[in-house]
Amino acid sequence: MRPRPSDPHTLAGAYAMDAVAEPDRARFERHLAGCESCRQEIRGLREATAALGSAAAVQPPAAFREAVLRRAARTRQLPPAVTPAPVARADGRLGRSLLHGWRARLVVSLAGALAAVAVAGAVVGYRMQHNLDQVQQHDHAVAAVLSAPDATMLTAPVATGGTVTVVMSHRERALVFTAADLHLLPAAQSYEVWLIGPAGSRSAGMVPASSRGGMAGPMVISGLRAGDSVGLTVEPSGGSPHPTSPPVLMVSLAGQH
Amino acid sequence: MAEGRGRSRDRAPEGADGAAGQREAPGPGAGRADELGVLLARVARGDQAAYEAVYDRTADRVLGTVLAVVRDPAQSEEVAQEVLLDVWRSAARFDPNLGSAAAWVMTLAHRRAVDRVRSEQKAAERQIRVATSEIAYDEVTEAVEARLEQERVRRCLGSLTELQRESVTLAYYGGYTYREVAGLLGVAVGTVKTRMRDGLIRLRDCLGVDG
Repeated sequence: MRPRPSDPHTLAGAYAMDAVAEPDRARFERHLAGCESCRQEIRGLREATAALGSAAAVQPPAAFREAVLRRAARTRQLPPAVTPAPVARADGRLGRSLLHGWRARLVVSLAGALAAVAVAGAVVGYRMQHNLDQVQQHDHAVAAVLSAPDATMLTAPVATGGTVTVVMSHRERALVFTAADLHLLPAAQSYEVWLIGPAGSRSAGMVPASSRGGMAGPMVISGLRAGDSVGLTVEPSGGSPHPTSPPVLMVSLAGQH
Repeated sequence: MAEGRGRSRDRAPEGADGAAGQREAPGPGAGRADELGVLLARVARGDQAAYEAVYDRTADRVLGTVLAVVRDPAQSEEVAQEVLLDVWRSAARFDPNLGSAAAWVMTLAHRRAVDRVRSEQKAAERQIRVATSEIAYDEVTEAVEARLEQERVRRCLGSLTELQRESVTLAYYGGYTYREVAGLLGVAVGTVKTRMRDGLIRLRDCLGVDG
């Protein structure tokens, strides 16, 4: 199928040639994060651009080789990218082999949040064991979604400020919801997450007040059904049974397999 | 401009390394591509002999790509050196599931070259140059085409439509953004986007390379 010029797919060629400058680049990379076929296409196009580069080969001057080899011998190498320990411990299934690309990166960003949750649990003295059990169950649920073979990541801006990232798995019928840099609400209000399907809206819980560098979540939301969208509204702090204000975010999950 | 060095067709590598003298473009020669990947895996473990072999198989294309974009020979050597050091430093980050080793190296090279020209030129100055079409694209393409050593790539580039070829050439060898290319060619931004993608797809299919 031939994409229309407005389709983000059409940027794949320019992107494979590093011909996309900010802010187009950031926007396209958000699209890429949830588009495996685009990433696949760009991999193929980069084989073609590599041939273009090879065709322009020029023999370097003799001193160049010695200079490069000498500098390399004095330069420390980077270790391979690995999954951070806190998440790996939370669920043995999250082996490195399962994690490529954005998933590995997301795990890095979530790992901080999970570690913070674990510490928060430990601080609550007499309820410690109870909380730790909850934390472990929570970690386990997060890991189950992230490591699902059909996990898909979507990132979308919130109308009033901030960004929401959703990793969803239809197979697990669940999604992991995180928010960053949401606009601060007065104490009497909170953000509420909704699953919105053909049959109406179901509350998926309140977004916890962010306490760690503007990051809220991860929340694990189960009971995902085909055709659902994820919405975010501002509600009285106790939550509402149905949305009472227009959504500040609406992300369709349809067709995201 | 890189006269002299740019035109050099002297294939004898200074190390008299026979294998390096037969370098080919990445592509259907899968054995060749795999060989570079295997070498990179050894480099990741700190093997300096493997790194020398990687250098001998990639230094000329890295320098050529950088030179096409940066143009100034002294600056190009500096950037190419950084790229080749990147290869040493981050060999452990190469993932064969995400493409060939050659494409990984060339992507590093092109990105660094483009970063150099985009950070060097103040955005405003660059826009003025684009607006006034001070850079004649013919000059860019000719300089590059003179160095196209590979008949296959030249033939495949020739199978593109004129607008596809101009768009791809200006973006890849010229290091221009697609918006700048649209300005240079005087065509709509959306048109350039699709021509770049269509052109690269045609090139990929003609070369028989795929990720």
